[in-house]
Amino acid sequence: MDFPFVKQAISQLFSKPSCDMYPFVPIEAAPNYRGRIAYDPNKCIGCGMCVRVCAGKAITLTRTPAEGGENITLTFDLGSCTFCNTCADFCNDNAITLTTDYHMIATKEEDLIVTGTHFKEKKKPAPKPAAAKPAAPAAAATPVKAAASDAPKAEAAPAAEAAPAPAVQPRDDGKPVNDPSKCIYCTLCAKKCPQEAITVDRKAKTWELNADDCVGCGTCQTACPKDAIIM
Amino acid sequence: MFKKTIIESTGKSPWLFHINAGSCNGCDIEIVSVLTPRYDAERVGFKLVGSPRHADIAVVSGPVTKQSLPRVLRTLEQIPEPRCIVTCGSCPQSGNVFRDSYSVCGPLSKYVHVDVDIAGCTPKPEAIMDGLLLAAQILAEKKKTGNQEATLPNPYAPEKTAEEAKPAEEKTEEKGEA
Amino acid sequence: MSVILNALVDLGYILIFPGFLFCFLCGMLLCGIERKIVARMQKRVGPPILQPLYDFFKLCGKETIVPTVANKTVYLAAPIVGLAALVVIQLFIPVFNFTAFAGNADIIVVLYLLLIPALAEIFGAAATGSPFAGVGLSREMVTIISCELPLVLVFLAVGKAVGNAIGSGVVFSLQTIAAYQAENGCLLFKASMIPAAIAFLLTIPGETGMHPFDAAEAETEICEGMLAEYSGKPLAVYKLSHAVKLLTLTSLFVALFLGGLGTGILLVDGLITFFFCVVVIICVVALIDASTARLKIEQLFKYYWTVVSGLAAISLILAWFGL
Repeated sequence: MDFPFVKQAISQLFSKPSCDMYPFVPIEAAPNYRGRIAYDPNKCIGCGMCVRVCAGKAITLTRTPAEGGENITLTFDLGSCTFCNTCADFCNDNAITLTTDYHMIATKEEDLIVTGTHFKEKKKPAPKPAAAKPAAPAAAATPVKAAASDAPKAEAAPAAEAAPAPAVQPRDDGKPVNDPSKCIYCTLCAKKCPQEAITVDRKAKTWELNADDCVGCGTCQTACPKDAIIM
Repeated sequence: MFKKTIIESTGKSPWLFHINAGSCNGCDIEIVSVLTPRYDAERVGFKLVGSPRHADIAVVSGPVTKQSLPRVLRTLEQIPEPRCIVTCGSCPQSGNVFRDSYSVCGPLSKYVHVDVDIAGCTPKPEAIMDGLLLAAQILAEKKKTGNQEATLPNPYAPEKTAEEAKPAEEKTEEKGEA
Repeated sequence: MSVILNALVDLGYILIFPGFLFCFLCGMLLCGIERKIVARMQKRVGPPILQPLYDFFKLCGKETIVPTVANKTVYLAAPIVGLAALVVIQLFIPVFNFTAFAGNADIIVVLYLLLIPALAEIFGAAATGSPFAGVGLSREMVTIISCELPLVLVFLAVGKAVGNAIGSGVVFSLQTIAAYQAENGCLLFKASMIPAAIAFLLTIPGETGMHPFDAAEAETEICEGMLAEYSGKPLAVYKLSHAVKLLTLTSLFVALFLGGLGTGILLVDGLITFFFCVVVIICVVALIDASTARLKIEQLFKYYWTVVSGLAAISLILAWFGL
C-alpha cells in the first residue's frame, strides 16, 4: 500500500487554511447572484405577467375592490421560488428585482414572504369604459375592414414611412392601438397579453382591445413582430 | 453545573443527518460543499453522521415524494430528542416546481414541526451555514427549556418582522433570568 | 491503617492519575488534537481542540433510545465494560519509572485487555439486533484478528530484545522494559527495533478504527456499523472509549519504544509522556488518517498479515539473533 497524499498533507499542514470564516466574516454574494426578491409596488401596474411566467407558482396576485379603484397585492413566496429571474425579466416596469441578499432563513412562514400593495385608480371607474367600449372596437374594427382590402394593394412601402402616424392615432390613455396596415394577425399580442385583453381573429382579420382589462403594460408592443402596435 | 455545560455543548456540537426526500441533488451537493475546506462547517462543530440515532439536526432536501414520505417520517422519529428539523431548499417547504404533482406529498411542515427553513434553489452554502447555526442555537434552547417546539427570533427575518421580533427577544431573555 | 491508606492510594490511581480522570481529559485532548491536525492537513481550519468534550457532554444530554428488540442489559453494559478495560490498561502502562500496578507478565494482560473494548463493542452491537451492526461487528472481528498478529509479534520482539540485553528470556514486564530503557536509552534508536516500532505505529489506526482501517465503522456505507443503534449516554461512553483507546495505544508505544526519558517527578513525567503521545498522533495517526481512503476489509486483513506482520517479524528475528 502506498500513501500518495502524504506529501500534500504535510505541505498543507504548514500552509494557510483555505476556509472562508463565514459567520464571523461576512461574505458578499457574486454581483449577479439571484437572491431575495425586492418588489416595488409603486412601479407595478398589476399586469400579472410575473404570475403567468412563474414556474414554482410562487407569485399570487389579489385584487380587492376599494373606493375609486382597487388594491392590487402581489405576494412572492420565497419558499416556492426557484430564483430563475423570469418574473423580473418579464416585468415591463422593473417593479421586481432579485437582490444579492442570500440570507433567506425562516423560522416561520412569514419570514419568506415578500409582499406589496398598491392602489390602482380606475379613471371614471365603470361608466367610461362602458361608453368607450362600443366605440373602441368600432374604431379598431372599421379600419381593419378597410385594411383587409387596402393593405395587399402594394401601398405597404409608402405606408411604412409616412402613413403610420396618420393611419392610427395613439390613444391618450397609454393603451395600445393596432395599425392594420402593418398587422399580420399572428395573434402573438393576444397570446402574450397577461390580462387577455386582446382578441385577434385570424380568419376575420380583426383586432380588438378590451380597454377595461388592459393595464397598458406594453407587452403586446414588444411582442409584435411587425411593430404594428402603437402605445 | 453539568446541566449548564450540557446546554452549552449542545449548541456547539450539532451533528447532521441528511435525508434526501426526492431531491434533484442540487441541495445535496450544496450540503456536502458546506463541509468542504472552503466552508468547513466542522470548525463550528458540525459533523455529518451516518445514523439518525446519532444526529441532532436532520436536514431534509427534496419535495417529499410519495415513496419517500413514510421513510422520511420514520427516520425523523428515530432521532433522539432534542432534535431540530431543517428543510434545505424550496422543495420541502412548498414543492416548488414539483408542486401539485401526483407523486409529491406536499410540504414537510404538514407532517412534522419544522424548525428552520432555508430558502433558495439551491441555497448558497453560506445560507445553509446560517440556517444550521440558527438550528444549533434552537437545539440548545430546546435542551434548556425542555420544550420540543421551542424557537428563537430569526435574525435573518425581513426588517418589518425583525422590529416586531425585538421585543419578543427581550421577553425571552427576561424569562431566562427569572 | 496502612491497608486503608493503600486502598485509598489505589483508588486514587484508578480514579485520578493514570486512571479515569487522566484518561478522560488526555484522551479527549488527544482526540481533539488529532481532529484539528487532520483538518489542517486537509487545508481546513478544523474544530476547536475541545470539540470531543463538547460532543461528549452533548451526547450525555441526549435522549437514550433502547431498541425494542435489543437485550437491554448487554446493550447498556457493553460500553462501560469497554471503557473500564481501557482504564485498567492505562494503570499497567509505566510513566517513566512509575507504574500503578506492576506485574511480571503485564504485557500479556495488556494484550488481553486490549481485546475487551472491541469485544464489548461487538457484544453491544450484536445485542441491538440491527443488520448494520451485524455487518459492522463481523468487520470488527476481522479487524481485531488482523491487528492481533502484528501486535503479538511486536511485543515478542521488544521482550526478546530487552531479555537478551539483561540476560533472561523474553521479558513480559513493562516495568522491566521501562527500567531497561531508563538505563540504556530508548529502544526506538536500536536498529533491530525500528521495524517493530513502525509495525506498532501502523497498528494504532487499525485498533482505534481510523482511516484507512475504519471499515467496521464506515459511516457512509453501513450507518456507522456497530454504533448504528446507539444514542445518548451509551454512545457518549463509546466516543470516550475510542478517545481513551487512542491514548492507551500511543502511551503504550511511548512506554515500549520511547521510554526512559523522565525526571522522576510524576507530574513532569506524565506531561512528557503526553507530549510524546501528541507527537506520535501528529506524525503518524493524523498523517495516515488525513491522506488515505478507506480500505476494503479483505485488503485490510491482507495488509496487516503481510506488510505489518512482516515488519514485526523482521524485528523479532533480528532480536532473536541478538542484534
